[in-house]
Amino acid sequence: MSRLDKYDAIIIGGGHNGLTAAAYLSKAGKKVLVLERRHVLGGAAVTEEVFPGFKFSVCSYVVSLLKANVIRELMLPRFGLEILPLESTFTPLDNDYLFRTSDYDQTYKEIYRHSKKDAENYTRFGPLMGQVGMAVRPILETIAPNAIRPSINDLLSLKSLLGHVKGLNNETFEYLCKLMTMSSADFLDEWFEFEPLKATMSASGIIGTFMGPRSPGSAYVMLHHYMGDIDGSFRAWGFQRGGTGELSMTIARSAKHFGAEILTEASVDKVIVKNGEAVGVALENGNEYKSDIVISGLDPKLTFLKMIDESDLPEDFVRDIKNFRIRGSSGKVNLALDGLPNFTSLPGDGPHLRGAISISPSYDHLERAYDDAKYGNFSKEPYMDIILPSVLDPTMAPPGKHVMSCFVQYAPYNINGGWDDNKREAFGDAVVNTLSRFAPNIKDLILHRQVLTPMDLEKTFGLTEGNIFHGELTLQQLFSFRPAVKWADYTTPIKNYYQCGSGTHPGGGVTGSPGEMAAKKILKIW
Amino acid sequence: MISGKKSSKFTANTQLKISPFFERTSKINMSQEWKRWGGFLASTKYDLHHDNEYFAIRTKAGLLDISPLYKYRIKGKDSKLFLNRLVTRNINICEVGQVMYSSWCDENGKVIDDGTIQRLDKEDFRLTSAEPNLYWLELNSYGMDVDIHDESEMISALALQGPNSRDIINSISSKSINDLKFFRIINTDFNGIEVSISRTGYTGDLGYEIWIKPSDSLKIWDILIKKGKDFGITPAGLNALDISRIEASLILLDVDYISSRHALIEDRKSSPYELGLGWTVKLNSGNFIGYKALKNENKNPSHWRFVGIEILWDDLEKLYKKVGLAPDLPHAAWRDSVPLYYNKSQVGYATSGCWSPILKKYIALAHVNSKYSSLDTILDFEIKVEHYRHLTPAKIVKTPFYNPKRKMSCPD
Amino acid sequence: MVDKKFDYIVIGGGINSLISAALLSKKNKSVLLFESCDQIGGMASLNEFSPGFKCNLIYDYIKWIDDRVIKNLKINKSLLEYIENDIYRISLNSNTNDHIFFNRDNNKTVKSIQSISKSDSEKWIDFTNYISKIASFLKPLYKITPPNIQKMGLGDAMSMKEMIKPMWSHGTRGFVDILRTLPMMMPELLDEWFESKLLRGTISASGIHHLNQGPYSAATVLNFLHHNLYSGSHILDANFIKGGVNNFSKVLKNKAIDNGAVIKINSKVISIDCSDDICHGVTLENGEKFFCNNIISGLDQNNTCIKLLGLENLNPNIRTQLNNIKYRGSTARIHFALKTIPKIKGVNNDQLKTVFSITPSINYLEKAFDEVKYGRFSSSPSIEFCIPSLINSGYAPNGKHVLSASIQYIPYKLKNKEWNKSLKDDIIKNVTNILDQYISNFSDIIIDSSISTPLDFENSLGITEGSFNHGDMTLDQFLFMRPTISSSQYRTHIKNLFICGPSTHPGGGLHGSNAFNMVNEILK
Ligand SMILES: Cc1cc2nc3c(=O)[nH]c(=O)nc-3n(C[C@H](O)[C@H](O)[C@H](O)COP(=O)(O)OP(=O)(O)OC[C@H]3O[C@@H](n4cnc5c(N)ncnc54)[C@H](O)[C@@H]3O)c2cc1C
Repeated sequence: MSRLDKYDAIIIGGGHNGLTAAAYLSKAGKKVLVLERRHVLGGAAVTEEVFPGFKFSVCSYVVSLLKANVIRELMLPRFGLEILPLESTFTPLDNDYLFRTSDYDQTYKEIYRHSKKDAENYTRFGPLMGQVGMAVRPILETIAPNAIRPSINDLLSLKSLLGHVKGLNNETFEYLCKLMTMSSADFLDEWFEFEPLKATMSASGIIGTFMGPRSPGSAYVMLHHYMGDIDGSFRAWGFQRGGTGELSMTIARSAKHFGAEILTEASVDKVIVKNGEAVGVALENGNEYKSDIVISGLDPKLTFLKMIDESDLPEDFVRDIKNFRIRGSSGKVNLALDGLPNFTSLPGDGPHLRGAISISPSYDHLERAYDDAKYGNFSKEPYMDIILPSVLDPTMAPPGKHVMSCFVQYAPYNINGGWDDNKREAFGDAVVNTLSRFAPNIKDLILHRQVLTPMDLEKTFGLTEGNIFHGELTLQQLFSFRPAVKWADYTTPIKNYYQCGSGTHPGGGVTGSPGEMAAKKILKIW
Repeated sequence: MISGKKSSKFTANTQLKISPFFERTSKINMSQEWKRWGGFLASTKYDLHHDNEYFAIRTKAGLLDISPLYKYRIKGKDSKLFLNRLVTRNINICEVGQVMYSSWCDENGKVIDDGTIQRLDKEDFRLTSAEPNLYWLELNSYGMDVDIHDESEMISALALQGPNSRDIINSISSKSINDLKFFRIINTDFNGIEVSISRTGYTGDLGYEIWIKPSDSLKIWDILIKKGKDFGITPAGLNALDISRIEASLILLDVDYISSRHALIEDRKSSPYELGLGWTVKLNSGNFIGYKALKNENKNPSHWRFVGIEILWDDLEKLYKKVGLAPDLPHAAWRDSVPLYYNKSQVGYATSGCWSPILKKYIALAHVNSKYSSLDTILDFEIKVEHYRHLTPAKIVKTPFYNPKRKMSCPD
Repeated sequence: MVDKKFDYIVIGGGINSLISAALLSKKNKSVLLFESCDQIGGMASLNEFSPGFKCNLIYDYIKWIDDRVIKNLKINKSLLEYIENDIYRISLNSNTNDHIFFNRDNNKTVKSIQSISKSDSEKWIDFTNYISKIASFLKPLYKITPPNIQKMGLGDAMSMKEMIKPMWSHGTRGFVDILRTLPMMMPELLDEWFESKLLRGTISASGIHHLNQGPYSAATVLNFLHHNLYSGSHILDANFIKGGVNNFSKVLKNKAIDNGAVIKINSKVISIDCSDDICHGVTLENGEKFFCNNIISGLDQNNTCIKLLGLENLNPNIRTQLNNIKYRGSTARIHFALKTIPKIKGVNNDQLKTVFSITPSINYLEKAFDEVKYGRFSSSPSIEFCIPSLINSGYAPNGKHVLSASIQYIPYKLKNKEWNKSLKDDIIKNVTNILDQYISNFSDIIIDSSISTPLDFENSLGITEGSFNHGDMTLDQFLFMRPTISSSQYRTHIKNLFICGPSTHPGGGLHGSNAFNMVNEILK
């Protein structure tokens, strides 16, 4: 392909959202070019063979939020989408455990063992959250209106949203309001009494978030994680065969099928702006590409403060983007193992190794982990969400060996004294030590270890401050405020420059939603 | 799977709960068919066909493991006050040794669950229910002097149902139960093992329910089987029970109605009036939960009524004849929702139905718009014959469909 | 025995109850008010904690009073007067004497901040403008009955429009700023402005004032705005009242009586009598019954509904909602009887008639909160104190003084421990030690001291869990969710039982907006 080619659209960043937007636009007949900085596609949804024979879903490790209509419209199953169910959560405790599965009776029996009332309430909780999730879906699927100067369309969609809210039954509305404002701990305290159950459930309210379970606002993040695909079974987490990167590849294949061109190792330096209009991009290697429109799949900080000169942007917008909170708080430790971990409380192989393993014995455990990070240290005893991909998909590791993915809260980006190799290793040790409290054989099993700090996430994946969601999911950074007021509908103050990353509504996770909604919006006004 | 040695504890390789009788029932379940009941493994039928078990209930005695029922013990000074607040019936008139059947409702008068209340002592009650209710009980006992205890796993239970059931018990029990009236309970012992016996059941026949300490379960089972042999005692599974309870027009939670605590939407909820349980609502007995809503509902006719229907045989036969077949009836009771029409528009739906082997009638229980619910109204029942849908007439009839005198009488 | 039948019975003699009584009787309604103690005032009353030494039970000063109350009840300066001091707050610096002196002349505040951070001092005026602008948008919201979102009709929507108008008129940013800042946590707001630890800590302390949350909790900015709604350019404002805070309750009491209301003290209501969800009177402790068709309660929801109405009048859903209200008292009060005037380092004797903050940094406050999270009380608490005996006479014998301190966080309940005297003594000792660092002669001049924990307040004043706000001031208990989503229009599930206390919108403080809004609502 020659540099003289002019594209209809150039997409900066081959993350799954950029690829999704590319697929939709090419499907609509546009000539699209995707430019990815790294040698692999997928961004934070990527699989890499980090150690020979061991494949890691380096960052994002489970899939549930991927929208069903994206799967259908982009024909992803045809291009390799195969999501294996991950249907249990195992919380090891010091002398006991909690093991929840998708089976109603089994889970009832298990929770009953710990708390009779909780077992009963648990049977109501899931379906009710399903109702709330259903209530939120239309909000997530509405292009965020301009809160300052709403257009006619904005008013219409606001009106229909209001109508939708008014149509909810009292109970759903009440829970919705509470989930928007409370801490996940307070919310769960209204339902349950058994700490490990509450702590494990609340943990989805702190994932990727600089908050503890007792911090108000964490209930919303919990809801965000509950909004898994409702077409299928609710909050059904799954694992893409071949790792999360394979999921990005299916989207890339779909995009290519519809005619998109994708270039890797093509790092964009700047968006070329002429007379307040985006006309193309310049790569770091000096190449330039021209196009009618440019779409950024990067986070808001990079999209605006790096790709564009401040002088080309309105002053208050620059202030908003600078004030956009994007603190990273998570790390990732990927282990190559010689065998399976053996949990003291539930020894041996078993179904509990096929699902998520949550190191969340109590609220206090999580809060203490948070306190460490609040004051600028990594958690000495972190919260972890763990899966063993090789148990589900043996191709992830050599025969008899395993890979283990540990998502770790908290590791602050701004650690006291800054991150260095020693601290990274110390962080990795903290993770392994915490793990060995529950599975003592882990230390002997480790063949290789990959430790990713927020600093590494920034350096390798271009996630500013290592924030996994391209910006915190706090109330003031959602919907019409994501990433900045007036520009929450995928447009930007620069003409023909658009955004489609997780920093836009409805936010982070492997959802495909920002990419899809941005593409649909662009096609509508094109 | 089943341990043979006497000393070692019985275990079964399942994630589901097993009742204390499982060691016996699992061995005699020739069909190897199980259903889930309250998280327990429960026999669908023991033979390859349930007919024999059903007829045992109606002509001899069927023995059913009903341990999966939820059981709550309610004791304390305010226990009566509490139950009066909880259930729709007037507990003041429940004597010691008496059992009452009742439903209980949420604040909008929609049914949460139904079950029996045994008055074991002045301030000592046992409540049985189909679904877990502990949270609800505790929520509503706040501030009262009651002690609520989940006894579900501390009491196992057997139902002995059928015309010979009294004779079987009399042949074992240290006390005669000849005087035990319908919906009464006594304490007695079987060969020195303490049990309580209530004259209750879910079959609409003469029958008893036996409440047992779990550790005594197998002994009681063995005694009953041994002594009952001469009276034709037959272990019976859920299929036989389901037919019996439909004949007796007894409702089943999650089949005929949905608990208002789980309904999610208003339309799925039912009031006691709409379930034919109006007789359990004692509006003059005080301020129970849902009282206000039910008082209002009582003034205006409820939207729904719960009725028994009989699918008329001749018309049904004609439909089959047209395709050249004899009527092909369901072998077991069904539990799907079947539409009912009046003049081509849908006015209700049947929620469970079966061929009644003893009445030789095709019967069903149905929710019908109260305007079309008077006795003898003919509705159209949807039926599929050889892949094609048809409407066939069904008549609203009096319930229970089957109601033998022996159910309530005592020997003189 | 009063045999006349009244239009309204008001339960409780706090600020909001008195305002309700005064406003309703002004509208020619007959009103009968019951207070269980021997004086009216509730949380705004005076107490002798040691022979000859008096203290303000909870509030030493007032942040703001609803201007509608002042106007409507014609409370003029001769009745209620603020003591205007130039310096309204001093934030104490521990190592140096570079305290921040907050002055009514904002330029002087700027100057004071300059000594700790030049850049912060340059931003101070902009910051106060920014906050007062946002506060001005919030004010109309404080004057309405919260809408019932789900049943919101055209009428409600129109009234909301009135409210939103001032925001629009300020240009588009105003609207954005309020929506953006309300859910924030204090550090998020302050990261956008200041660098000095002391200044950040001091401002954040206002965001956690009387709240059981740390500054790192979302929506602490809401609480901050609540306290600074009428501060204007004097952020962290505090107004002393001539004659003491209880003078405000006295004025209101007199207004009510002048307007014809009957006030009975020493009359404890023990039940609101009710049948079929309609209430028809109250019963007093002495057995007397009073019949009335409209009952107003100034108590919190736990007292009003669970205790007075009784469980039989609460359906399970309402009760679940009531049980889920988070009260969570967080503040203890310690009063010291002093031999002489305390000598505060770096503060002149003529600068003592003000409020002092010991709030060194955001992390200091957050660490104080961390301990509460784990069920302990703060070992290094946030402290706010003043010397009421210098401000008004009558608090202490001649030459002697009273120092009253508010201590955060002292939880209502401890983990695995019951409150007892020795724990309380520990707190006093600890606070004394901290104050010693700032007050050179402190330990030597203490004659006596007295502490009230949230549990003590529950026992003495009846406020549930010692929550001054009758429910924590968090985002999930704000506007149409205060006190519960089904009772946020000053009405309860009992048709003729109304609520006017701080448990209602817009929450706690001696401002009277709750009562004013309620009266508007019932006379509608
Ligand atoms: C450790 C971790 C664990 C996670 N776990 C989960 C999970 O289990 N489940 C889940 O649903 N979500 C998870 N997430 C979140 C989810 O992965 C992200 O929200 C999502 O992948 C973001 O997708 P995106 O396309 O918006 O952005 P990205 O994936 O960040 O894509 C941006 C792309 O732009 C590229 N790029 C950057 N700069 C340039 C440039 N100058 N020129 C060209 N290209 C450039 C990057 O290399 C990258 O490929 C996790 C994230 C992390 C970091």
